[in-house]
Amino acid sequence: MGSPAATYTGTEVGGKIVVGVADLAVTSDPSTTLVTYALGSCIGVTLYDPVAKVAGMLHFMLPNSKLNADKAKAMPAMFADTGVPMLFKAAYDLGAEKRRLIVCAVGGAEVLADDGHFKIGSRNRTFLRKIFWKNNILLSGDDTGGSISRTLSLVTADGTVVVRHKGKEHVLWPQ
Amino acid sequence: MAAVADILENIDSLPALPTSVMRITAMLSDGTSDLGEIENVARNDEALSMAIMRYGNSALYGRSGKVFNLRESIVRLGGKALLKIVLEQKVAKLFDGAGEAYGLQRGDLWRGAVGGAIAAEEIAKKHRFQEPDLCFLCAMLRDVGKLAMESHFGAEYMTQVFSHLEPGLTFMECEQSAFGTEHAEVGAELALRWGLPERIADAIRYHHEPPAEDPGHDRLFDIVHAADIICLWAGLAIGSDGLQYKLAPHVRKDLGLDRKEAEAEITTTWGRLRELEEMMGTSPAREARA
Repeated sequence: MGSPAATYTGTEVGGKIVVGVADLAVTSDPSTTLVTYALGSCIGVTLYDPVAKVAGMLHFMLPNSKLNADKAKAMPAMFADTGVPMLFKAAYDLGAEKRRLIVCAVGGAEVLADDGHFKIGSRNRTFLRKIFWKNNILLSGDDTGGSISRTLSLVTADGTVVVRHKGKEHVLWPQ
Repeated sequence: MAAVADILENIDSLPALPTSVMRITAMLSDGTSDLGEIENVARNDEALSMAIMRYGNSALYGRSGKVFNLRESIVRLGGKALLKIVLEQKVAKLFDGAGEAYGLQRGDLWRGAVGGAIAAEEIAKKHRFQEPDLCFLCAMLRDVGKLAMESHFGAEYMTQVFSHLEPGLTFMECEQSAFGTEHAEVGAELALRWGLPERIADAIRYHHEPPAEDPGHDRLFDIVHAADIICLWAGLAIGSDGLQYKLAPHVRKDLGLDRKEAEAEITTTWGRLRELEEMMGTSPAREARA
């Protein structure tokens, strides 16, 4: 990984690796689960290489690091344009290959009656799609939008992506 | 349907607002801070003393190579910083373990409280509002009604109710429809029963729907409301309510809050909260509830 700092590697809690806000984690441990809680307007990105058994998760908050270069330097996972490349590079460092990656995105919700003034969640979605489009990455699972919060899990043994909302779960990948 | 009075009937089962917070609230309300009194509070509270010394010796207040004891730390930090430390410590205890009914992880209510306090203070300073410390306090206490709601209705029942929320409604409308009241109203009444000033109770009451015009309009309420939305965007204390809230149009206009400024507030709030957590040694990782 670019930085060995604990803040960018998730935190082990109860047998799971918890990815906080503006945080990312990548692992080749097949016996754990990556999880991030309460995605609102933030977006959680998961990736999984089924051959190398490498799994990664990013929880970014805002689209563009130009907003605050100092923050982006200190906390690159805060922004999509710095966090996404960091996530992919960390996965490649553990042996993942781009052509095999299964990538999902979850979150990007909006407050009610935003009326186009802020669009924090939708800008996150748009910016992320642009990054993926420029880099020829297709989303295998997409559960974004609305006004709800979501908890996102990635089982590292087989790449299953689960989204939890108000106590109900659904599998986003495999579909 | 429950009346607010019914919900607060079991107020004795709720954590009491510590005397220290009451005194500090009074200090903030009348614009005074008494270092001697804060020291007296701290000396009788080991955790608080430790926190003050951690702050006093942190890089946030400059490095000197010297280790400061409690008294030196108190003098070094000054009244207003100390007031905030006492609040952070005491409100953390108040919110400890609560929030399950609202789909929150352990520690989320405290993070939301402190994040809101930081955001409110930042907004107040940016707009040269005369009472940034009062904004800090009100934003920190804004969700205290969730404690009373959870205590009265129980986490299991509320979780079940919240799993059937109508997506288009605000969360306040959903609570009102399901319980006959909502957490902001309950929080305001709880604050009054604790003996807090009416203006603080009203800041809690209106933190989701501040009055746009007189009578009732108060910039304090607007700032606390804006801070609450900033917290949502920063991913703090989002539970089963999701983002089912609205930013009041008059607050957006009056504060000149646009996307760029909102994003700047989000990063500042989150950054300051993270610094605080690192200094206090509290992990941002939350333990999932069973």
